[in-house]
Amino acid sequence: MANKKILIVDDDRDLQRGMHLRLKANQYDVCLAGNAFSGFCEAQRSEPDLILLDLGLPAGGGFLVMERLKTIPALAAIPVIVVSARDSQGNQKRAFDTGAKAFLQKPVDDEQLLAVIRQALGEPAGKKESTLYGQEAV
Amino acid sequence: MTTPPQPSSNLSAYLSHELRNALACIHQFGNILLEGLAGELTGEQREYVGIMLQNSSKIRSVLDGALDGVPGRPEKSTNKIERISKLET
Repeated sequence: MANKKILIVDDDRDLQRGMHLRLKANQYDVCLAGNAFSGFCEAQRSEPDLILLDLGLPAGGGFLVMERLKTIPALAAIPVIVVSARDSQGNQKRAFDTGAKAFLQKPVDDEQLLAVIRQALGEPAGKKESTLYGQEAV
Repeated sequence: MTTPPQPSSNLSAYLSHELRNALACIHQFGNILLEGLAGELTGEQREYVGIMLQNSSKIRSVLDGALDGVPGRPEKSTNKIERISKLET
């Protein structure tokens, strides 16, 4: 079975890289975007199974990305998980109102992030993690 | 990093945002090292990374506590997962 594809939209390159490593180790394919415009374009190009979306993005912001996604039928159903350093007060409700499946405030515990991803993708809990050089972690 | 806010704007929101992003990186890469995703560590290296992560958790608690203390903010849930993650089904 093909790996699920996750699009990470975050302007922090270090965080992008860390999430990429974590998701790759959990058998997800990953694509990346560093601003709102490229996030929307990448979503159209790659049609991911799920999007991890920051809110404070250059070129429009995360809310704009969610609003734009809703206008394209092929993308409207993609689950979006907001991962933001912003205060949850106000932003969380707005994120849910705009269609987000979950709101996670940075820093996010890896296990929580993976649990929310699995739930959003309808996967069973406890998927195996492997190291980047091919061995399964104990 | 974004431009620091003027004194009249919301300094605590700015600080929270910047500190949370930096903490997220420390937390994420610390765990990546600790779990051997970038290669196996020696016992001593694991211990040091563990100390680093424990201290990043302390900073996170201080940050959460400081924000909880801001007047006008609603009291946060004591359930950690409930507080930061509400997946709609």
